[in-house]
Amino acid sequence: MECVFGLVGNDFAIVVADTSAVHSILVHKSNEDKIMFLDSHKLIAASGEPGDRVQFTEYIQKNVALYQFRNGIPLTTSAAANFTRGELATALRKNPYSVNILLAGYDKETGPSLYYIDYLATLHKLEKGAFGYGSYFSLSMMDRHYHSGMSVEEAIDLVDKCINEIRSRLVVAPPNFIIKIVDKDGAREYAWRQSVADTPAPSA
Amino acid sequence: MTKSLDVPPKGGFSFDLCRRNDMLEKKGLKAPTYLKTGTTIVGLVFKDGIILGADTRATEGPIVADKNCEKIHYMAPNIYCCGAGTAADTEAVTDMVSSQLQLHRYHTGRESRVVTALTLLKRHLFNYQGHVSAALVLGGVDITGPHLHTIYPHGSTDTLPFATMGSGSLAAMSVFESKYQENLTREQGVKLVVEAICAGIFNDLGSGSNVDVCVITKGNKEYLRNHLTPNPRTFVNPKGFTFSKKTEVLSTKIIPLKEKVEVIEGDAMEE
Amino acid sequence: MSIFEYNGSALVAMVGKNCFAIASDRRLGVQLQTIATDFKRISKIHDKLFIGLSGLATDAQTLYQRLVFRHKLYQLREERDMKPETFASLVSAILYEKRFGPYFTQPVIAGLGDDDKPFICTMDAIGAKELAKDFVVAGTASESLYGACEAMFKPDMEAEELFETISQALLSSVDRDCLSGWGGHVYVVTPTEVKERILKGRMD
Repeated sequence: MECVFGLVGNDFAIVVADTSAVHSILVHKSNEDKIMFLDSHKLIAASGEPGDRVQFTEYIQKNVALYQFRNGIPLTTSAAANFTRGELATALRKNPYSVNILLAGYDKETGPSLYYIDYLATLHKLEKGAFGYGSYFSLSMMDRHYHSGMSVEEAIDLVDKCINEIRSRLVVAPPNFIIKIVDKDGAREYAWRQSVADTPAPSA
Repeated sequence: MTKSLDVPPKGGFSFDLCRRNDMLEKKGLKAPTYLKTGTTIVGLVFKDGIILGADTRATEGPIVADKNCEKIHYMAPNIYCCGAGTAADTEAVTDMVSSQLQLHRYHTGRESRVVTALTLLKRHLFNYQGHVSAALVLGGVDITGPHLHTIYPHGSTDTLPFATMGSGSLAAMSVFESKYQENLTREQGVKLVVEAICAGIFNDLGSGSNVDVCVITKGNKEYLRNHLTPNPRTFVNPKGFTFSKKTEVLSTKIIPLKEKVEVIEGDAMEE
Repeated sequence: MSIFEYNGSALVAMVGKNCFAIASDRRLGVQLQTIATDFKRISKIHDKLFIGLSGLATDAQTLYQRLVFRHKLYQLREERDMKPETFASLVSAILYEKRFGPYFTQPVIAGLGDDDKPFICTMDAIGAKELAKDFVVAGTASESLYGACEAMFKPDMEAEELFETISQALLSSVDRDCLSGWGGHVYVVTPTEVKERILKGRMD
């Protein structure tokens, strides 16, 4: 089942998501990227209803881009988070999206930050956060091993510990994970943690 | 993005959260309970006018939320109204009608009549088919004499010489039924109202604390707030409470407040 | 579980001699899972007026944004700050407007009015005002707060004693509530200054 988590380190933020597209008891896909680039320095990881997730994150992504085109400057991470919350809160009163969001970003002035936005549009700035069934394991793991000002190596080590715990203790653990990072050089894919590879269908 | 600005509303209810709240309820979260005035309210007609009475307890489920609230609401200088039911509804509905009455007085330059208040109240309550849950005892003295009415949440009304409402209405009514008579004096009337409210306070768990009374006569009214306080606190320690250990504080931030600058009207810039 | 108990909260305000105190817990949870322990439920409207919003966190945030908006409009139009009584009526009207689809939040309002007369008040989710001369409480810990305040409160306390009383009332009450706690946030407001303190609390 869905596992999304993230943490803030020294001058960077990391978000991790599972990559399984599941429907009922069936795994449709094990390399679905659930972490989107909002702009050059922002990552948005989402879990929840697959349709809502894609629709909503794309909507946010395009509006953040529109803002940048119109004004010539990008939104800060805090502004993007508040915008996202606003959109989710207004939608909530009409036709709710069921998406939970972790928004990570890097700003020159404030450094790295991580925002928690749940499907009810509760917004909170965090050092470490998680959604989904994986949160029961990753939150405990991060509570024990997280400290402020972690280096990338330490953080990745912690991420691997979390993934390991999910894989070994969660009945419905997803096989693959994607790790993305954002720092002063921008947001980028960092690594995959795959235990099942997609085998391409043999050609006829 | 076509989003209308969140301008102050023009009035009326807004239903935009209903759909979300239904969703939350379907997810198994229970809807909230509201502040209720599980109440004893009464009124009677005496020789010279009307006497209204109420207890002062507000409850939220089994919790006493307010030990000394006001349940006799102002409608007009010569009309008052006791409210039972959901506190927000009784408060809102009486406030709304009293403002309509005030405007009506400005328009006509005449004293408000009790029937006007009655009609405005019942029309609103009937419109909302009982969803605005206010049970009221309306009393006042106007040009046509003293009037006492009860109004039910669905908008039906009665015109009576003596009336009770709320969860303590049965206890209070038993007092009225055995002791009410026509042409009571003011003293007899107040005594009977106090007795009826006390019956509610002591025999109905939803009612409690003190007795408020309002006496309305032709051209005059007396609002006797906390006319009787039969339940004073008995366990007050006059020395108060002392703490042996100081509270552990992690951080303190002190923000000094600046004196507000007074702008003197009509300075040199003005002609 | 009631919607008010979804995030967990404890709020209390007390009146002293020419001063008041308003305090809250610091937990943000999703049912029994703790998301953060640095959540803020009390916000400043102006120098001498504070509002605490208990209940569902998303509604507290939305309502707070609407109230700030309305207060700023008032400031622009009237060129002065709102009196606490006026602000309480505004909150009540905004809540009652949604009588049949309410915000799931119970506000606590505390402020210094003309001549630095303290004013405190609370409401239910649909705006039934409850004015009190001594103290008001709200949130999941409200039942224990009623008990603690009823025993500890005494009239006309000076700022320092008021702080001790409200802090002890808050800390002892949240110890009897699973859904709130993790320290406290206390504002003591006198005519000359605002003292904001973070309290140490139990972490279980």
